[in-house]
Amino acid sequence: MLGRFSDRVDEIHHLNGNEVHVLLKRKEDIPDLCLYARDELKSKLSTMFCSDDRGPCGAFTLRYVFARAGGQDFFIVLTARIRADQGLPGFPLDRSLSFPSIAFQFPSAALYEREIRDMFGLFPDGSPDKRPLVLHERWPEGIYPLRKEFDVTTKVDRTGGREYKFTKVEGEGVCEIPVGPVHAGIIEPGHFRFSVLGESIINLETRLFYVHRGVEKLGEKMNLDQVLLLSERIAGDEAVANSTAYCQALERAAGVTAPERALQTRVVCAEMERIYNHLGTLAGMSTDVGFAYGSARLNILKERMMQLNEQVTGSRLLFGTNRVGGVGVELDADKVRKVRSTLKRSLHDFELVISMLRNNSSVMDRLLNTGTIARRVAVELGLTGVAARCAGVDEDTRRDHPYAAYSSLRPDKHHDSPMHLTEHEVEMQMRRGDALARFEVRVEEVVDSAAMIDQAIENMPQSGDLVVSDLRERLEPHSHALGYAESHRGQTLHWVTIGDHPDSLSRYKVRTASFVNWPAIEQAVIKDIVPDFPLINKSLDLSYAGNDL
Amino acid sequence: MTRTGKAKSEKATVISGASIERSPRSIMGSRVETDRNLLDHIRSSQGYRGNVRLLEEESDLASLGLERYKRAVEMCAPKAIATIDAARLGVSLDKGKCILCGRCQEVAPDLFKIENGFVPPTREKRDLVESLGGRTASEGVKKSYEETGKELKEKISKMFGRSLAVREVDAGSCNGCEIEITALNNPIYDIERFGIHFVASPRHADVLLVTGVGSRNMEVALRRTYEATPNPKVVVAVGACACSGGIFGETYATNAGVDNVVPVDVYVPGCPPRPEAILQGLLSAVDRIK
Repeated sequence: MLGRFSDRVDEIHHLNGNEVHVLLKRKEDIPDLCLYARDELKSKLSTMFCSDDRGPCGAFTLRYVFARAGGQDFFIVLTARIRADQGLPGFPLDRSLSFPSIAFQFPSAALYEREIRDMFGLFPDGSPDKRPLVLHERWPEGIYPLRKEFDVTTKVDRTGGREYKFTKVEGEGVCEIPVGPVHAGIIEPGHFRFSVLGESIINLETRLFYVHRGVEKLGEKMNLDQVLLLSERIAGDEAVANSTAYCQALERAAGVTAPERALQTRVVCAEMERIYNHLGTLAGMSTDVGFAYGSARLNILKERMMQLNEQVTGSRLLFGTNRVGGVGVELDADKVRKVRSTLKRSLHDFELVISMLRNNSSVMDRLLNTGTIARRVAVELGLTGVAARCAGVDEDTRRDHPYAAYSSLRPDKHHDSPMHLTEHEVEMQMRRGDALARFEVRVEEVVDSAAMIDQAIENMPQSGDLVVSDLRERLEPHSHALGYAESHRGQTLHWVTIGDHPDSLSRYKVRTASFVNWPAIEQAVIKDIVPDFPLINKSLDLSYAGNDL
Repeated sequence: MTRTGKAKSEKATVISGASIERSPRSIMGSRVETDRNLLDHIRSSQGYRGNVRLLEEESDLASLGLERYKRAVEMCAPKAIATIDAARLGVSLDKGKCILCGRCQEVAPDLFKIENGFVPPTREKRDLVESLGGRTASEGVKKSYEETGKELKEKISKMFGRSLAVREVDAGSCNGCEIEITALNNPIYDIERFGIHFVASPRHADVLLVTGVGSRNMEVALRRTYEATPNPKVVVAVGACACSGGIFGETYATNAGVDNVVPVDVYVPGCPPRPEAILQGLLSAVDRIK
């Protein structure tokens, strides 16, 4: 298929089951090949990232990961090298280190390009937004944390840096409302700049990365098991999804599969994570529309699930579920019984609470047509998870790129007959992308997750290993792989490149669903009123920590 | 003010009273049954990883073998285990750093033991460090949530006229600690019945609950929040990250604990600390205000 690019492509190879790596001859061809991947190969830009490979091959490597969906489970990884000729230690701005921007063709690429500029000092040529992203004011120019010469513990002066300019909206009666980073509730920090005309929001700009902790750089300093603990703490409520994606990346790089029992356990814990978080989000939405009773009921259910988490894994946030090459939790008969009985009871209560909410017009009126995400926006921004599904974009990593034991499970129950499939497609077309759609998607997913847990428990072998033992011996230095999982927020992607020593990483790239979905909120609030913002924010349930790393 | 102390105590009895008949109640047209006695379950379960103990009776390290001990030191991601006296093979364990992953117990079960209590909050950071041969290894707290709450309520009504205002600030956490702090507000823990409420502005607050590593990008905001809080104020560092940087430690983007940004009065370790531990931390915070 890539025959017509034969003069522009160096080599194509196939790796780790479903990754097609395409190495470009020149960086100038990046936009053409990206457009080809999107338009002709019908795939979606999932992430793009850089790694500092000046050591092994004298160049920075840029990778553009495209995911093919619609029944074909593979990833296209376009790779281009940016030659860096000099030795470069501590070197100043170097304009020759640039790459062509694709942000005009791919709006979702804009953030990745700014991230690469901040962290590696490679400049996107022709990028529409040249402001810093990760590094705030008081970070000096010319220091790039993800370059190899930068040590993770370096104490950088709090001087210099560039001023951050928010988009100015001017006109008669237009006001600006700055909110954050410290918010009124018990939530994470981020800054929102509203431009309002009366009560209506005419522009919103988010500024994040207040909780940037240097996760990717830290990953290069730790051993594989420590990175696993780190991955659980990227975002505390996505511990299972992130650690599963990380473990899978390693397992794929080593060419091993975790034992069947571990795969099923991962499904059980991942779905338990989805349930308790969706319950929390639904409770939050109920709070934000001013219906405390519904929120109290849902919070009781969430607490019950968190107590179950503790009984199953020893942690209320499911920390410790995964191990490199398997799982650290044994689901014995006693735990299985607890899971089943708690779920059964909770689901019963859940349905009653939800039917009460659905019959309450003061709740439904607030949700309907609030914070609408148009389907076109969802596609162009490459949204994922609930944010995409609420707008009728039917994608789910669990189904499109099955991992763990999901190939034998259906994340949605609609595919058993052509009639149900058509019904499902019609229903997808009818989704409006508003807060009510997100409410309904989450409700449906809680029920589906409970069914999947049941199924996974059914399929679980009674005995057998929990961890593959020889994973580390099979890891080749400098090999790499992509790991992925569907968290309750959407697709999370982890890329690992093994270092010189097989028990270390030379590059750990994490892209959580929140990073992709954050720009959606700027679109969703347009024309809504300021008091609806908390509700819209909660209905999208975005993680600050998962975005900021 | 309709929410008198009397009304609150009645509410508490309803929730905790196991004797009350457990039949579905009909409220607002729907029949939702929930556990009346969920509170009885909120003591940590058997497998909960809440505290690591250095086993003193096995302190004869020479017989233990250097290898396992060294592996435990190497393995510990937040570097909580350290050698204090190389000659005598002294071990120290910083519970402010510990993320309770349980790896040390797997490597050297005769030296470390994971228990299901939780580590008591301390006023001094150094009190979180436990060493073999030093002071006695402390037991994890097993006090019930209700007992702590009642004690706290009494103190609050004496000192603050029944209400303690708390402001939470995330200074670089993973959101895990926020989830546990939010849990304190759910109908099970229902922290408001002890006279504690979370306020929207630092200007209304007596206590700041600070979570996270003290990230570089939050330094200014955290300092300003601290300055906006009226005196007398108490700062409680919640979670391993806030106590010491946790697994993130000190990086270009973090500060290895919020006490490098603002003064901290009480340290609540844990990754994340369970709601009972945070309540215990608030009790210590009230004791600090004189």
